[in-house]
Amino acid sequence: MFRVGGVADDDKLDKDQTRAVLRRAIRMAAPFRRTILAALGFVLLSTLGLLLGPVIVGYGIDNGIVANDRTVLRNAVLAYVVVVVIGYLAARQQYIFVNRAGEGFLQSLRVRTFDHIQKQSLGFFDRYQSGVLISRMTADIESMGELVQWGLLQLIAAVFLIVIALGLMLAMSWQLTIGALLVMPVIIIGSRKFQRDSNEAYLEVRERVGQNLSELQEGISGVRVIQAYAQEGQQTRQFVSSNRSLYRSHVRSIRVSTWYFGLVEAMGIFATAITIGVGGWLVGMDAIEIGTVVAFVLLLSQLFEPVQQLSQLYNTVQSSAAALDKLFTILDTQPEVEGGPLDLPERGELVVDGIGFAYPNTEASVLRDVTITVGDGERLALVGPTGAGKSTLAKLMARLYDPTVGAISFGGVDLRDATLDSLRQRVVVVPQEGFLFGGSIADNVRIAKAGATDDELREALDAIGALDRFEEFEDGIHTEVRERGSRLSAGERQLVSLARAALVDPAVLVLDEATSSLDPGTELIVEAALEKLMTGRTTIVVAHRLSTIRTADRIAVIDAGELAELGTHDELVAQGGRYAALSSAWQQSLPT
Amino acid sequence: MSDRASTTATTKPVSSKWGLLWLTLRAQRRNLIIGTLIGLLWTIGKVASPLLIRLGIDRGIREDDRLWLWAGLIAAAGLVAGTFTAFRRFYAFREARWTETRLRERLFSHIMSLHIGYHDRAQTGQLMSRSSSDLNSIQMFVVMIPITLSNMAMIASVVVILFVTDWFLALLALISLPLIQVLGARFSSAIHPAMLSVQAEQAELATVVEESVGGVRVIKGFGAERVQSAKLELAADDIRRESIAAARIRAVYLPAMELLPQVGLVAVLWFGGNRVIDGDLTLGGLVQFNVFVALLVTPLRMIGMTIAFAQRAAAALQRINEVLDVDSQVRDPDRPTTLPTGKGDRPTDGFGAVSFRDVTFGYEAPDAADAGPVLAGFTLDMAPGESVAIVGATGSGKSTVARLLVRFYDVHAGSVSIDGVDIRELSLHDLRRAVGIVFEDTLLFHDTVRANIAFADPEADGATIERAARLAGAHDFVMGLPDAYDTMLGERGFSLSGGQRQRIAIARAILADPRILVLDDATSAVDPSKEHEIRSAMSTVMDGRTTIVIAHRPGTIALADTVVLLDGGRVVASGPHDRLLASEPRYRDVLAAMESPSGADAADDVIGAVGVVAGD
Repeated sequence: MFRVGGVADDDKLDKDQTRAVLRRAIRMAAPFRRTILAALGFVLLSTLGLLLGPVIVGYGIDNGIVANDRTVLRNAVLAYVVVVVIGYLAARQQYIFVNRAGEGFLQSLRVRTFDHIQKQSLGFFDRYQSGVLISRMTADIESMGELVQWGLLQLIAAVFLIVIALGLMLAMSWQLTIGALLVMPVIIIGSRKFQRDSNEAYLEVRERVGQNLSELQEGISGVRVIQAYAQEGQQTRQFVSSNRSLYRSHVRSIRVSTWYFGLVEAMGIFATAITIGVGGWLVGMDAIEIGTVVAFVLLLSQLFEPVQQLSQLYNTVQSSAAALDKLFTILDTQPEVEGGPLDLPERGELVVDGIGFAYPNTEASVLRDVTITVGDGERLALVGPTGAGKSTLAKLMARLYDPTVGAISFGGVDLRDATLDSLRQRVVVVPQEGFLFGGSIADNVRIAKAGATDDELREALDAIGALDRFEEFEDGIHTEVRERGSRLSAGERQLVSLARAALVDPAVLVLDEATSSLDPGTELIVEAALEKLMTGRTTIVVAHRLSTIRTADRIAVIDAGELAELGTHDELVAQGGRYAALSSAWQQSLPT
Repeated sequence: MSDRASTTATTKPVSSKWGLLWLTLRAQRRNLIIGTLIGLLWTIGKVASPLLIRLGIDRGIREDDRLWLWAGLIAAAGLVAGTFTAFRRFYAFREARWTETRLRERLFSHIMSLHIGYHDRAQTGQLMSRSSSDLNSIQMFVVMIPITLSNMAMIASVVVILFVTDWFLALLALISLPLIQVLGARFSSAIHPAMLSVQAEQAELATVVEESVGGVRVIKGFGAERVQSAKLELAADDIRRESIAAARIRAVYLPAMELLPQVGLVAVLWFGGNRVIDGDLTLGGLVQFNVFVALLVTPLRMIGMTIAFAQRAAAALQRINEVLDVDSQVRDPDRPTTLPTGKGDRPTDGFGAVSFRDVTFGYEAPDAADAGPVLAGFTLDMAPGESVAIVGATGSGKSTVARLLVRFYDVHAGSVSIDGVDIRELSLHDLRRAVGIVFEDTLLFHDTVRANIAFADPEADGATIERAARLAGAHDFVMGLPDAYDTMLGERGFSLSGGQRQRIAIARAILADPRILVLDDATSAVDPSKEHEIRSAMSTVMDGRTTIVIAHRPGTIALADTVVLLDGGRVVASGPHDRLLASEPRYRDVLAAMESPSGADAADDVIGAVGVVAGD
């Protein structure tokens, strides 16, 4: 009773959209239809159990008590017991079945949405902020869980209850039914108004809560700056003012519900008053028996709660539909990069042929007319200023994106025609920072090749000279890396990242060299590991360091999206162009 | 919950947790009493209606005596109950929100005043949940106070009335009802852990999603989608399993709680019916029993809820007290001295001599592990207007020097003084206005550019702000922002590049106009081609001001008059850059460690100079 409706989002859908979304949800729920049917059956039974009680009491009064017939009274009591027991058993089952259907639906929704997100290419992840994707998978689905666990059950039960109660009342006396329901229009109009106002008030509260939380977070995470500038007082004053406006919007929302709850309470008793008055009058005219009046009084107390619930549930259904709609938008997004039918050869040249590239939904092209042939086993360094497009070129070479024009092929096969599996076996990208997942070191290396044995993992770690370092840990390679790999140093995280590549044993390696430096000791180990990894493989390296560039066979200078220079170090120095200038600047900046 | 409370030891006794609530509620006692009194009026209307129903049936219908009077009185009782339930609700909820509001303000102001050493260990998320979900638990409990009091009044009067009417029937009707309350309390304590494990599984799933989104490049690169999908499916299955387990708990308790009053009603129908036939009870009396039993169900259930809420509120109060009980270790002296003033009377005017004498300091380790001193016998003297670059390997304590100067921490031994005054004798406010820091990680607040620059002095006028921005080299790009100085920054605002953020932070320090400036240079976050702009902004600010530069790159060293080399927690060499380069092998080593990235940047600058335009 203290739950504010589970409104999860301000962007509400209109009626037609809501209906369309719900229809699609119903189609998705088709695999659970037997569970849903069973759940409906149990809800029906338990509702009947609840409502037949007053009718039996009414019957017992008229035909047993008033008629002085103790047998009828006994039979009525027995019937009451049977009804109560059946109602109880059905109610137990209804919770379980409703939940089983609902949670099953949510589980499949989670898995489907996630699988679909995983299928998307990197462009998708550039477009969606990570926070948005995470909240789709968590908050949005959880808000639907609210609907599934409570809302759906209440909704169905309320509808059944109202329909059945009305039917029973009409069957007993249509005149009294009309009389008792005179208050209904007031309740319905009041409920609609309350539903509108409370939704508005709730959204306002929600927004203020959000503001308040972010002020809070900013205060806590900015405490060093705040204290350094002696602004604690000012910040507290600011926080108090945001906190007070949160309080005021709470009070506004309390006010909205105040009159409504009063109205409902008063109307409930009014209905009883009318029942006694009209019922008594009808009894006086011999139109009905007194037991019917009693049955009405008892039934009415059951009827008001569901009517009240229905108005609140409307909000929950609407916001769940909004959340579902957002999930469907994701489910409707087609992946941009999909695999072809061919297997890539084991080795070959990597040919970049006249490619151009622009990120989706942008005008400016990042790369224009780049053509490079990288020989089997060659080491190519990509050099250029920030933003020139060298990292993008590297990503295209691994088909993380597809070029807008031109083609990239390996061993004569266009990357777009290759299966994604074979592509990832031949071409591996090692990102700048070693990103670690939860789990052990072994789990993290195994990301590269599901099902790899511990021996294979050790081999891969050994191949880059990192095995000894990790075997020294308390659980060896099975040591947990903790959240985001915090157990490991930055250098060790990179070693794990390199071991993944070694495990795949690819023909082509694409490296984005880290710009931030590690401590000198680890730096050497990582460099040695990298050297071991690159040996015998075609390597494309986005280079930031002279030492790396020096070991490359050829150097490509990328500038403003174009290939400016291409050749060996000596050739380019002799050419006296940009690379020559860069190289000499480098020499001079070294400390003497 | 209780074990969590006991693992984190507090200085004050546990009993103080209710003390906090008591003190807060005492200030609101007037409204709480009003709320409770209103609740009692509600009780009257509520209890009157079944009595009037009995009269309506017995007198109005059966004896045909003033039927419409009884009906009218029932309606009047409805009006009373409806009006006062509304007011009761209003007072209860409003007071609860007010309690929450005031506790939150107290907590925030306390958190703001706590020493930085506390914040180093405390997690933002933990402090956040103290001020949000824990306060909410308390709020939910406070709501229940006036409501529960009037509910108890109602239960008591109904029980008395029923026993007076017919004690045997009353016993039959009511005997099962306390069980509702027992079941309610059991249900709350059974469902709570179940809900927590659902939440835990949801968090587990969120982790999988987070790392899959964050590590999407790794996953795509190795085609590891299936691995992550399997993890997610596992987590989704766990959620389903835990949710269904929670549903099973609901299935056990909730229908039983619905069932219990029915048991009483069945008994009343049988025994009561026979009594009516025997003429010992009126028909209206029988109906009255039915209505009263139905009336008691909700209040009894709510008492169970109140108990569960009270337990949760107690745990929340305990956790909040743990925060409020921490006293700031860095505090104003009892009688603060003021800094000698040179040019004017404000604390920001002055000479700016800085002296570290034999300073020893080490951070408190999180788990009492080996935390050796970071600084040991650190001595540094700076004349007014002098600039010093502190150079040292990673972890040599460079940034610590700056933190000690503004008393984020107090030295363990030795002293720090400004213009001859020990900084511990100054008020924190004066000290921190005299020293301006540009931090390594630039933090901008979710506010306008203007407010971010005028942080030290929110009253500063537009001209002052613009002057600070110009000096920091920020004015030009600020004018290019959508709303110029009124552009919102911060996490949800306009996102600036690292260099731009840095320049806003420098402008912030300029506006504070401190005697002593500390530049914790973190140009690593800056686009290399912009680094020289920042360097020039820095040198403008440093002009004629005592400045400590914490140097992470060779380029910034050149800004300072003197270089101080830090090693093993003390100054091992000092002098001009050229002399150290020639005489100190250790200095060359440290510079060499800085070399690689900065070398690349220097090269980028050169590329820019020979006519290649960076693509951004």
